[in-house]
Amino acid sequence: MAAAEPSTPSRKVVVHLRATGDAPILKQAKFKISGTDKFAKVIEFLRRQLHRDTLFVYINSAFSPNPDELITDLYKNFGFDGKLVVNYACSMAWG
Amino acid sequence: MGAVGSEAQKLVWEGTIPLEIRLHESEITTHPPPPPALILGPRLGYLPLLAQQVKPYFSDTLPPGADTVWFEYKGLPLKWHIPIGVLFDLLCGEPERPWNLTVHFRGYPTDLLSPCEDEDSVKWSFINSLKEAAYIINGNCKNIMNMSQSDQLDLWQSLVNGKIESFLRISSKLKLGIVGEEGYSTMTSCSIVSRQTRQTTGDVDTPGPNRTGRIPVRLYVRSVGDDVDDFGDITPVDNWDEISYVNRPLEFHDEDGKLLTLYDALKILLPELFEVEPSIAQESSRMDIEELRTTETTSNPQDLENAINSRCKETKETPDECQSQCFPYRKTEIKLVRIQGIEPKLVIPFAWVVKNLTNPDHFLHISVFVNASLDQPT
Repeated sequence: MAAAEPSTPSRKVVVHLRATGDAPILKQAKFKISGTDKFAKVIEFLRRQLHRDTLFVYINSAFSPNPDELITDLYKNFGFDGKLVVNYACSMAWG
Repeated sequence: MGAVGSEAQKLVWEGTIPLEIRLHESEITTHPPPPPALILGPRLGYLPLLAQQVKPYFSDTLPPGADTVWFEYKGLPLKWHIPIGVLFDLLCGEPERPWNLTVHFRGYPTDLLSPCEDEDSVKWSFINSLKEAAYIINGNCKNIMNMSQSDQLDLWQSLVNGKIESFLRISSKLKLGIVGEEGYSTMTSCSIVSRQTRQTTGDVDTPGPNRTGRIPVRLYVRSVGDDVDDFGDITPVDNWDEISYVNRPLEFHDEDGKLLTLYDALKILLPELFEVEPSIAQESSRMDIEELRTTETTSNPQDLENAINSRCKETKETPDECQSQCFPYRKTEIKLVRIQGIEPKLVIPFAWVVKNLTNPDHFLHISVFVNASLDQPT
């Protein structure tokens, strides 16, 4: 019995950014981000890229984690195929 | 019928914290100042839900403006998405009764707290947390997504009103049971109740892996410094950066854990606290990054860090700095563990903890006090 992976929080995580609904598609949709960063960093990045204050950001087309959650935790909890899928929308997509 | 709570669960649901809430002096326009509000805060509840009760005490003295309620403890704005009981366990080293809080209706600290407009924000946050838990347990959150509006509302209302029976009646439909009535036997095998078929909602990347036997856990790790004997004397938290917020599921791979204790679980959840040789972990993480770089052939994800740096030059944070800030607790030891106001002995079976002390969002919230020597990574 052990944790899924050894504790390597500093490991970079590949994040896939996917537009949902009428949100603009980014030129580059794959990024690497440090596992020790918080989800807030992804939200902030998307806000700047899209020049929008209001943005709805989801994981796996399902839920919006709290901005405080660490990328490494999100990856371990919800990532698959070596990446974390982040969907973004300009209006609420999944209640 | 499975929807009957255990005695301990009922006690947890009935748990309240006596609160003495004062209005912040900057918002008092009358003399003499209004007396504090004395109310009971449900452990499983959330602070913004108290606004309706608190507001009448202070409405006559507030300056003109629109209300956005937020609370503060010893100068620390309280994160509203954390259950009241967890905030109390985490921030009050020595439980203080009544708990002295300050309420604000003006000047919401948008840079420190995520926006909270009304009860709907809290409900939304709760349902999201529930979806996260469902995903961790079942590999998808179909059951929550497919809940009827009325069930969702009833589930929320039963939490707001502290009605355990109706809460369990609705939540039992969600098939999120980890520890069944048989308790320990479920925990010792890797089988899990109700593995759902994968979600097919159009998005090809939607389904997660079919993992099993995972228990959703949120850990709040607070460093209280060395040689602390009296938890009443510890320095209050004045910045949320002092708390490491860790979300790791507890995973069961085989049948080693005949009777997994809370201590065993913590050892799995927070290996940092038990590690002797941290340099090895760091070395391997560097190798992992290299590996990732070389194996990427079709696509080449740009570093988000670089992307941000190139776009906004004001970012100063370096990855190394962040690393030492976020995971500072090397060679530390656990001083205290609190779950639902209880300081359990670490030898108690983890199955019992999960069955009885899990919050309604199906996460087990654990406050851990460590004696970290913060700035001395060895």
